[in-house]
Amino acid sequence: MKTLDAACAACLVMLAVPTVVAHHSFASEYDRTKPVSVTGVVKKVEWRNPHIWFYVDVKDDRGKVTTWGFSGGPPAFLMRQGISRDVMKTGDVIKVEGFRARDGSNNGSGGKVTFADGRSVFTASAEDVRPGT
Amino acid sequence: MMCIGVRNRLGSASVRHIVAVILLAVAISGCSAAGDKPQGEEGVPRMPDGRPDFSGVWAGPGFAHTGKPTDSATVRRYTESNMAPFKPGGQALLNRPYTGNVRLDDPTAVCLPNGLTRQIPSPYAQQWIQTSDQLVVLYEYMHFFRVIPFGPPNRAHAPVDEPTYMGDSIAWWEDDTLVIDTIGLNEWLLDAYHPEDGGSRWHSDQAHVVERIGYTDRSNASYDVTIDDPAIFQAPWVEKWQMQLKPNWKILEFVCDDNDRCRGGNCIESDAQKSSTQ
Repeated sequence: MKTLDAACAACLVMLAVPTVVAHHSFASEYDRTKPVSVTGVVKKVEWRNPHIWFYVDVKDDRGKVTTWGFSGGPPAFLMRQGISRDVMKTGDVIKVEGFRARDGSNNGSGGKVTFADGRSVFTASAEDVRPGT
Repeated sequence: MMCIGVRNRLGSASVRHIVAVILLAVAISGCSAAGDKPQGEEGVPRMPDGRPDFSGVWAGPGFAHTGKPTDSATVRRYTESNMAPFKPGGQALLNRPYTGNVRLDDPTAVCLPNGLTRQIPSPYAQQWIQTSDQLVVLYEYMHFFRVIPFGPPNRAHAPVDEPTYMGDSIAWWEDDTLVIDTIGLNEWLLDAYHPEDGGSRWHSDQAHVVERIGYTDRSNASYDVTIDDPAIFQAPWVEKWQMQLKPNWKILEFVCDDNDRCRGGNCIESDAQKSSTQ
C-alpha cells in the first residue's frame, strides 16, 4: 500500500510538473513551426547537463526503425521538481510531443512525454513551449 | 530489565548525574545548532554584529517559491510596464531583432555567459556566503561567482579597466537592507526575453544595477533590482522580486558544454542514433 501511495504521489508530481526552461532560448535550436509526435521504445536516457536527452526507437509501417533524440529539462530542474532520473527507463513505451531541431535531423525538444499507462510528464527544455499551447 | 539493573548498581545519585550529563549534552547540541545562526526576535538569521545573515542556498527570483523542498524553475523576465520611458533611440538598443546569428540572438545557446542582469533571475540555485567584510555569491548556472566587499554606503567603485559580464559590485547596509551596487557591465543581454521571432533584449555598457535585499520572514527575502541605464532609459526603474532559502538544497554542477547536442540548432548525432538499425 505504501508503495502504491508513493507511486501515486510520484504520478501527481509528474502530472503537476510544468514545462521548464532551457539554459538558452528555444528558438535558437528548435523550430516552433515544426511540431513532431512519435511513439516508440526508450532506447537510452542521458541524465546530463545542460539538458537531459532521451532516445526513442520509432518503427514505421514498413518496420524500419529510426532513433529519435529529444532534449528535456536540465537535471537540476527535474530533481528540484521531485523527478528522479529513473522516471524514464530503457524499454518504456512512450509518446513524445515536441518540436524538431532547426537542422531537420531526427532530434527535437521533447515538450511532453506520455507513458503507456497514461501518465504524463513534461521534460521539455522548450522555453515553455508545448505542442498545442 | 537492563536499565533497572544498571540503576541498582549505580544508585539513584549516579543516575541523576548521568541524566544531567545527557541533558547538558542535548542542550549543548541544541545551542551549537542554533549558535551557527543567531536569530533576532523575528527569527531572521543574523551575524554576530547583528546584521542580517543571508548565508545559505537560495531559490532566487527564478523559482516559484513553494516553501517546500521541491520547487519549480520559473523564467522571470523584467516587466515591460515597469520600465522607464525610452530615450530617443533607446528602444532600438533594448529590443534587438532576430539575426540568425546565435551569438547575438542568444549567446547562452553557445555557452557564453548570461551576464548579471540575467543571472539574478536565473532559474538555478545560488549559494550566498556572508562574512563580516564580504559577501560571496556562487551561482549554479555556469559556475559564475561574485565577491562583493562591504563598506561605507554610496562609496566610489575602484576604477574599472574593462567592462565584464558580472561587472564590479560593492555592498553596504541601509539598516537591515543589503544594498549591492554594480557598474562596469559590458553591453549584453538584459534577460531571457525572446519574442516569437527569436529576438532579444539587451542593456548597454552604461548600465548601473542596484540590488536591495531584505528578509521578509525567516525564509524569504524581497529582492528589488533597480536598473539605471542612461543610454536607453530616461530614468531608473525597479523590478521587485523575491527569493527563498532552501535549507535542504545544495548547488549542483552545471557544465554547459557537457552534452549540448543541438548547439545553434545543428545537432550532433549521438551514439544511440549511430547504432540505429535504420
